[in-house]
Amino acid sequence: MRKYRTVFMVALADRLVYRVDFFVSTFLMFIPIVTTVLLWRAIYSGAGGENIGGLNYSDMVSYYLLVMVVRAFGSMPRLASTVASDIRDGELRKYLLQPISYLGYQGTLRLAHKIIYFIMAAAPYALVFWICRRFLPAWPDGGTLCLCVVSLVLAGAIGFFINALIGLLGFWFLEIASFLHLFMTVQYFLSGHMFPLALLPASVRTVISYLPFAYETYYPTLVLLQRTEMASAVEVIGVQAVWVTVLAIVTRVAWSRGLRRYAAFGG
Amino acid sequence: MSRYLCILGRFWKNSLLREMSFRGHFAVNVFGELLWVVLLLVFIDVIYSRTPDINGWTEAEYLFLTGTHLLVTGLFEAFFFENCWRISGLVRRGDLDFVLLKPANTQFLLSFQQISYSSLANAPVGIGVCLYALRGDTQGVSAGQWGWFCVLVAAGVVVLYSVLFMFALTSVWLIRQTGVDHLWFYAVSLARYPAEIYRRFVGGALYFSLVFVVPLLLVSNLPANVVVRTVEPWMVAYLLSATAVLLSLSGVVLRAALRSYRSASS
Repeated sequence: MRKYRTVFMVALADRLVYRVDFFVSTFLMFIPIVTTVLLWRAIYSGAGGENIGGLNYSDMVSYYLLVMVVRAFGSMPRLASTVASDIRDGELRKYLLQPISYLGYQGTLRLAHKIIYFIMAAAPYALVFWICRRFLPAWPDGGTLCLCVVSLVLAGAIGFFINALIGLLGFWFLEIASFLHLFMTVQYFLSGHMFPLALLPASVRTVISYLPFAYETYYPTLVLLQRTEMASAVEVIGVQAVWVTVLAIVTRVAWSRGLRRYAAFGG
Repeated sequence: MSRYLCILGRFWKNSLLREMSFRGHFAVNVFGELLWVVLLLVFIDVIYSRTPDINGWTEAEYLFLTGTHLLVTGLFEAFFFENCWRISGLVRRGDLDFVLLKPANTQFLLSFQQISYSSLANAPVGIGVCLYALRGDTQGVSAGQWGWFCVLVAAGVVVLYSVLFMFALTSVWLIRQTGVDHLWFYAVSLARYPAEIYRRFVGGALYFSLVFVVPLLLVSNLPANVVVRTVEPWMVAYLLSATAVLLSLSGVVLRAALRSYRSASS
């Protein structure tokens, strides 16, 4: 455990080195939410202010704001590409020779990055949420808040395992950038990041609900939005836990199978 | 001039050889681009099943805007995105030295070294979406309108290039400037929608900034407007002038960046 703590502390220090870089990225991150909200304002105006997909304009603004919070947990920038390049360039052998789990190491790095991110992005988030407070739902009670936190953590775990799996494709393919691009496109749509899945026909929604993507963003967002009853919030968390377990097992199997093919190219 | 055309030909041939070395990768990339277009069309269908128009834009007009946007961004991504993106890496590793040592214009070498053929696939798809938006009714669009459309699409690509190139060059001062891909994503997010939706936000300040400071809103909107809506002639003149200014400015910023550049190696 001590070695992971050391990795964690080093990763924390690394993230604090490039502070300007961080603030530029955090500032830019709010641009899409502004454009999306403005688009939906025009859509609701054209629709005569009616509910769309069971959501009024305030709900829609809240949805996109809360999607940002959920994505802050679930997104794993550069995890897949790092894993794939470590495999391709032979860097992986450096970790295989050490008494440390490579995926555990990557997980610890991401955890440190997330913690620093949450600390440093807290002020910009608070400002944006304060400006948009009239759109947001009431602050949840203790029980709902606990469910929200659990759902967010599980969304982060789903995001980690899916991205790690994409990265592990590097054992079988020299170049995975195209798979990553394809995956991000599919995920943007199927996770409900592009628009709430409630706007899709019920049959399409049913198919999507059998995939993990919606449990990485859409359903946790509904839990935060308090658009699910307590019982169905628990159900969402239950399905998330199942997906985390399944994805962890698949990742473990892919890692073992991949290692058998690994030839440690590079100097 | 012929020397530069020869170098350009070599660059593009090398890029083609590189992409063809990973044919599966190329095919998946093209498939990904096409899938993205399909998802955009689904999104537009979902929107317009709920509203007859968005700030006066009908579904056909919005589709034409989307096609234009795909064309402009497809051309930019094909010719310039990777070149802008790799600048921060060249600076960080000190590999910019190798570019500076070559007996050719530095901006040319930095801007044209790679071409993404898979992104280029978006250009014909964009044209296809535009034609689909017109539902074959191209008779109503004059040759002059199509001519201006082509000129403004080219201007839009140059505006995007100039802005992204200058942003990428800030890595000389900021080091590990990882934001080029982020900035591109956000620039695309802004330019994709009808410009009118920004008019009433923060008293029109955002609209003003994105039209008259960094004209990102015009790169897709103006060419689309020329064909499916109306455009004030001064706006066309303004975009062309802004394009020339931004392109010149990119050269000035490059020279300033090179004066501050200190090689990272040895």
